[in-house]
Amino acid sequence: MGRFELLQELCAAHGVSGREDAVREILLREIRPLADSVEITPLGNLIAFKKGGKRPKTRLMLDAHMDEVGLIITGVTEEGFLSFSTVGGIDRRVLPGKTVWIEGKLPGVIGVKPIHLLKEEEKLQSVPPEDLYLDIGACSREEAEEQVRLGDAAVFDSVFDLSHGMVKSRALDDRSGCALLVELMKDGLKYDTTFVFSVQEEVGSGGAGTAAFEVKPQAAIAVGCTAAADIAGVKRGREVCRLGDGPAVSFLDRQTVYDREYYHLTFEAAKSAGVKCQPKRAVAGGNGAGAIQLSRSGVRVAAVSLPCRYLHSPVGIIAQKDYKAAKKLLAVLAERIAETDTV
Amino acid sequence: MEELREMLFRLCRAPGTPGEEVSAAKTAAAELSGIAETRIDRMGNLTTQFGNLDAAEHVLLDAHLDQIGLIVTGIAKNGFLNVGRCGGIDARVLPGMAVTICGKETLCGVVCCMPPPLQEDGEKKVPPADEMAVDAGLSRTEAERLVRPGDRILFRTEPKRLLGTRVSAAGLDDRAGVAAFLRCAQILSGETLRCRVTLQFSAGEEIGGFGATTGAFSAEPAQAIAVDVSFASQPGVPEKNRGRLGGGPMIGIAPVLSRKITEALIRLAEERKMLFTREVMGGLTGTNSDTIATVGRGVPTGLISIPLRNMHTPAEVVDLNDIENTAQLIAAYLREVS
Repeated sequence: MGRFELLQELCAAHGVSGREDAVREILLREIRPLADSVEITPLGNLIAFKKGGKRPKTRLMLDAHMDEVGLIITGVTEEGFLSFSTVGGIDRRVLPGKTVWIEGKLPGVIGVKPIHLLKEEEKLQSVPPEDLYLDIGACSREEAEEQVRLGDAAVFDSVFDLSHGMVKSRALDDRSGCALLVELMKDGLKYDTTFVFSVQEEVGSGGAGTAAFEVKPQAAIAVGCTAAADIAGVKRGREVCRLGDGPAVSFLDRQTVYDREYYHLTFEAAKSAGVKCQPKRAVAGGNGAGAIQLSRSGVRVAAVSLPCRYLHSPVGIIAQKDYKAAKKLLAVLAERIAETDTV
Repeated sequence: MEELREMLFRLCRAPGTPGEEVSAAKTAAAELSGIAETRIDRMGNLTTQFGNLDAAEHVLLDAHLDQIGLIVTGIAKNGFLNVGRCGGIDARVLPGMAVTICGKETLCGVVCCMPPPLQEDGEKKVPPADEMAVDAGLSRTEAERLVRPGDRILFRTEPKRLLGTRVSAAGLDDRAGVAAFLRCAQILSGETLRCRVTLQFSAGEEIGGFGATTGAFSAEPAQAIAVDVSFASQPGVPEKNRGRLGGGPMIGIAPVLSRKITEALIRLAEERKMLFTREVMGGLTGTNSDTIATVGRGVPTGLISIPLRNMHTPAEVVDLNDIENTAQLIAAYLREVS
């Protein structure tokens, strides 16, 4: 299997929060031969334990989430259009004009009133999601209701492109984290490690929190994606992190104060792995680490994230070299954490 | 209907922004192979003739070949592509949109979308298209090697089959019109007509209609019918004086259009008990029929529009029945002309 084939397969799978089944099936197939034990928790987290050559001094858990942002169908109009809500944080500006797949099989488009019929002042106003509807081609409420049930999930139609050293795709957040964890399991870590593929990160991290309760780790690394703003129109210094400068390491975000020692340890690990990494230069966002940290009597946490442009939009971009660097960095960091005593 | 859908999808997959319609023209020409000889003129129009080539009565049929898109205006320091509008693209659908860049190689890109915390007014406003940038994931050096100012950018979407006979694709404006005429040519192939027909798929409608102007001058027709798309009802667009998806061809009624042709089209639709609507416009129609009508000594012109939702977005939607009925209506009209 080529380097990004698994990532491609994972990105192609649809897994809006609460509906991670298709992603979990792929991961189960991949990790069953690699793990010493596999467990699925009541909420659907996939937990894999893999023995290393040595027993760790600190019990470590790696977490990547299986779910992605998307849409949920909330109603059907008399004319057969579907109303929807977003699941997870989607910038309302990326919705109009996009094609989505409902329940993985039925295409629909998010329509907007044609530009020709807009008042001048409307032309540069984004459309509030409550004014947007999905068009599946139904001629009536009845025809639509034959195909769609309220609560059905939808994801953006997208691309998967590996040209010029990048990966462009939907759902890189956090299928790239899932793919990284599988790769680490394949290579095998020096110490016993638990790998968690969690559910519902985009709607409050109930998955990671309950998984941590089950696993009882002393330390955890959240492996994911974080928004890179190294894009047109953003001043130098405000980019948060930059593609190609290595994985981003968090010190503080909207949910978590990261373990100070682990934060510094991550940079040391990168150095000894011979790869670049960068601080996440903003207090923004959050991930499963927030819930993991508060599990039981508390867990020491770190976050290693791939810089991803246009996170939560139809097409994100990550750099292949950041992905490769993250894998090397995580292998060393996991070892450093596991080999050191903790309180 | 399946054949019509597949033909329409082939047409929509071919790129063809204003001034760069060659690929779309070749795709349309391939559909005519075995029916009629085609040529591409110096302005980029694809033309063909059929019917009785010796007949005195000469009808021009026009649908435009081009579609809206973006055009590269420069390459920024960080490798991002600065863009301008190539036709009336709707800025509101651009953020986060996957695009195809027709550079030295075909590249996959994304229209930049500033994270809301960094954007003044957050998510409420979108910048004008001319101030947006396209991210192809290239360094400046790579971008300069692969992309030049003037290269075109299109929405990157595959045509989609929706429920029933409805489909969605980028560029249905006006490949739906092109498909209607191709279907009309198929219907009439083998029949004897009493008029000469010039079929013209014209370039550059989305930036003013240079193809239709010059093409109609060259053809010197006695009359013309243009087929374009027009607004179907949808959320935010009430049905009043609009078409309806599946409601049949929209027959244009306007001061600039020939009353005689318009009435003939309405009569033929009624005789056939075909679904149709009337689209009444107070002056110009905003289509190639405006230009064609005033070419040379003037050309009496009719207009039929195919109802379409979400015009000038990647999510345009039409009903194949409306295309088929448009083709049948024009075929019926041409059978009468002598």
